[in-house]
Amino acid sequence: MDILDHIVSVFSDFTDPKKRVFFGYLLISAIIGLIWLMIVKRLSPAKAILRFADKKVFFSASSVTDYKIFVINRLFSFLISPLLITQLVIATAIFYWLHEVGFVRSGALGHVDTWIVVALFSAVMFVLDDFTKYLVHRWMHKWPLLWAIHKTHHSATTLTPVTVYRIHPLEGVLYALRSAFAQGVAISTFIYLFGDQVDLYTIVGVNVLVFVFHITGSNLRHSHIHIGYWPWLERVFISPAQHQIHHSIAEEHYDKNFGAALAIWDWMFGSLHLSEADKDVEFGLEPGERSDVTGLQSIYLRPIIEIGEIILARVQNVLALAKTLILHILSAFRHAGKLTDPSSPQTFTCRRIKKVGMRFVESDGRIAAFSDFKVLGHFNHDRIATRFQCDQRLITGHFNGVD
Amino acid sequence: MLAKALKCSTFLFAATLMSSQVHAAAHAGKVYGPQPVTVKGYTGDKTNSVSYSGQIARYVLHDSLKKLAGKGNGGGNAAELEAQMMAYFGGSETPLDIVAPLGKDGFPLKQASVEDLSKGKDLSGKFYKGLMPAWPGNMTGLEAVQHMIKHAAKADGGWDPKTGYNYPQLISKFTLGAVSYSQAVDNYLDEKMTADNKPNGKPYKEGAHYTGKEHSWDEAFGYFGAAAHSAALTPDQNYAVAKLKDLEAADANGDGVVDLKSEYVFGNAYYAAGADRSGVTDYMTTIVGAFVDGRKLITSADGENLTAEQLTQLQQCAGVISKTWEKVLAEAAFNYAGSVYKDITAMNEAANDEDKMKVYKDYVKHWGELKGFTMAMQTGKNNLGETAVTLNRLIGFGPVTLDNSYVTGVDANGDFIMDRRRTWSDYQLHMLKVQRLMISEFGVAARKNDQTANLQALADKLESDSTAETD
Repeated sequence: MDILDHIVSVFSDFTDPKKRVFFGYLLISAIIGLIWLMIVKRLSPAKAILRFADKKVFFSASSVTDYKIFVINRLFSFLISPLLITQLVIATAIFYWLHEVGFVRSGALGHVDTWIVVALFSAVMFVLDDFTKYLVHRWMHKWPLLWAIHKTHHSATTLTPVTVYRIHPLEGVLYALRSAFAQGVAISTFIYLFGDQVDLYTIVGVNVLVFVFHITGSNLRHSHIHIGYWPWLERVFISPAQHQIHHSIAEEHYDKNFGAALAIWDWMFGSLHLSEADKDVEFGLEPGERSDVTGLQSIYLRPIIEIGEIILARVQNVLALAKTLILHILSAFRHAGKLTDPSSPQTFTCRRIKKVGMRFVESDGRIAAFSDFKVLGHFNHDRIATRFQCDQRLITGHFNGVD
Repeated sequence: MLAKALKCSTFLFAATLMSSQVHAAAHAGKVYGPQPVTVKGYTGDKTNSVSYSGQIARYVLHDSLKKLAGKGNGGGNAAELEAQMMAYFGGSETPLDIVAPLGKDGFPLKQASVEDLSKGKDLSGKFYKGLMPAWPGNMTGLEAVQHMIKHAAKADGGWDPKTGYNYPQLISKFTLGAVSYSQAVDNYLDEKMTADNKPNGKPYKEGAHYTGKEHSWDEAFGYFGAAAHSAALTPDQNYAVAKLKDLEAADANGDGVVDLKSEYVFGNAYYAAGADRSGVTDYMTTIVGAFVDGRKLITSADGENLTAEQLTQLQQCAGVISKTWEKVLAEAAFNYAGSVYKDITAMNEAANDEDKMKVYKDYVKHWGELKGFTMAMQTGKNNLGETAVTLNRLIGFGPVTLDNSYVTGVDANGDFIMDRRRTWSDYQLHMLKVQRLMISEFGVAARKNDQTANLQALADKLESDSTAETD
């Protein structure tokens, strides 16, 4: 493959009908956007074009960064994609597992008409894909570890169709795995139940429902064209305006509209927000999120550092928890000690003495292991928490006094 | 000479890369024989040293035995039928008519009697006599096939619904391996291709018009079962010839009849053509091409002992043949494991008992072929070791039958014991694993009846990346 081929392959998504940024879909989205500006916004054709092709959007620092990220991520994709588990591997594993479990016989629904099977598979594939997108997207916002990488996407302050590629490579990996999982489940289950007749209704090689999603302006989701649907329709399908709300910096828009094509998931799980006509939406993140809009180095490295910080904080939390736990245990020891003699120094005379539990010295609320401890027949020691077996007696508690 | 050897070493590579048609055209000149007589001091009148009619006779015995194995009427003719089968299996004093293949209008055969091909031949003498753990009863290969023949004679139409055995298929496929494949790859292409065994500087036997190496090589070719001109035919043509069709393709000398000695496609070669019809593999021309190259190399020695270099080159050709032949058997096993899987699905879908029984009969037939081929694979030069154990455990001694029981052994009388049960789903999973094993261990590429191919096709259609876009 020569350099030209590499360059062409980087931009191949624009000629691939399976991709959202396929030039045909971009063109249709542009037409929809222009018609909307002229009819709904009542702009003249010239003004509509000027508004649509707003250079402040397409050539903003944020958008230019999107274009750079697009190229860099394509290179990452070439490197990472071959390493990822494929939907075929997942499908095969599930296919085997279904035989093993055998709760339904293979081909149990093989008598169903082929057209029904194909229609059903096309629909289930679309819905399952959309639902898993919703779920993963929701997790991206709710879990700090995932939010650290998803912030890259939300740091865009202007939206263009290329913003869909403004993601951290780790997010690309997660979405590819999600896709492989969804497809693996659907393919294996359908072939197990319906046999060889399972197929997909396609147009230009794409699931017909995905195709419909794309030709109805999927690219306008990442744009400044604020197209909203009727409220009832926005409960079924996510409008471009609803997705723009998802990118809004306004507090009331936080964690809303996670859906990709269908709005029903947001509706069902309480994260739906309908579009608001004539309300300007500012895109991006609060300064507190420490997310760079244009600095590539920061965009790629910052999430990794943040993940490291989160993990470190988690580890510290676990250690703190362990410490608390130990304190509680020691407290219990002390309590037990007090039961025998809570306050006064104790002196024991033992013929044979053996350590049973751990030995700790308590001082200023800190705990330290006390390793150099000798017992010579009888002892007094200041604030020692431990368990001993003195002759036949088990003694638990802390003991005051000096040798 | 080196160029010839290199050809053999590249065959394996070519076997799965070139389209069959292209390769067939490239091998149009690769006809096996005739070759001149090179034996030093030969004074007879023979001019062609190529001779393998004994192996063709054995193929005819095999085809006839398979046909007879389906002639039982449920016990009434058992003794008579068993004797008849044993005549074809173990040899006969009296001349034997060919039971199969038989000529027909539009495809006449030159020979009608086994003696027209070769006298005094049998299958039992050449049958694999090592342990055959794939069959119950701790038997040798020979004992196992005799056990099958005994039960075939008692069966109705060759099959037994209770045990799920189809004896014509079991006997046939096992014999393709235990006689032809085994003799070729573990004898003629193996020890007989060493310096001191059947040297080229001497006639094969006293007075023979072919040398030790020439005839050993010819015998191996005969065991493969291809027509002399098979490499020049397309897979479809080879396939049609084996099915007694396409006289034009078969009749290489244009005399209007098909000579079983050199113009017909038998057993193993037929399955090579079957795999090649996929368009993915090129087993037939790979094997026949290597045979032709090897034979020319031997002829070029002109009746002298082969040099160490020539022997190495010849062994290289033998290696290509053995390896590719093993793949042919593995492809067949892969194919029938897929058929068994599909038959179980079809039984699950059957609307009534009558339909189910019809599919069950197909299932038993396909299982017999699967079992036979996997037994055949265990008679070769290589000990399949752990692969054989896995294969035998996956397939079992018998298929899962209508009441979910299957053969687990034989009792002291040689009757089958069926004291375990297995679910259909479980057995289907076993078939998937057999197919996976054929891919991982033998690299089968034609993969007819691949039961996970649809998963692959759908996965390709969906493509992971296309829906990996985020929002």
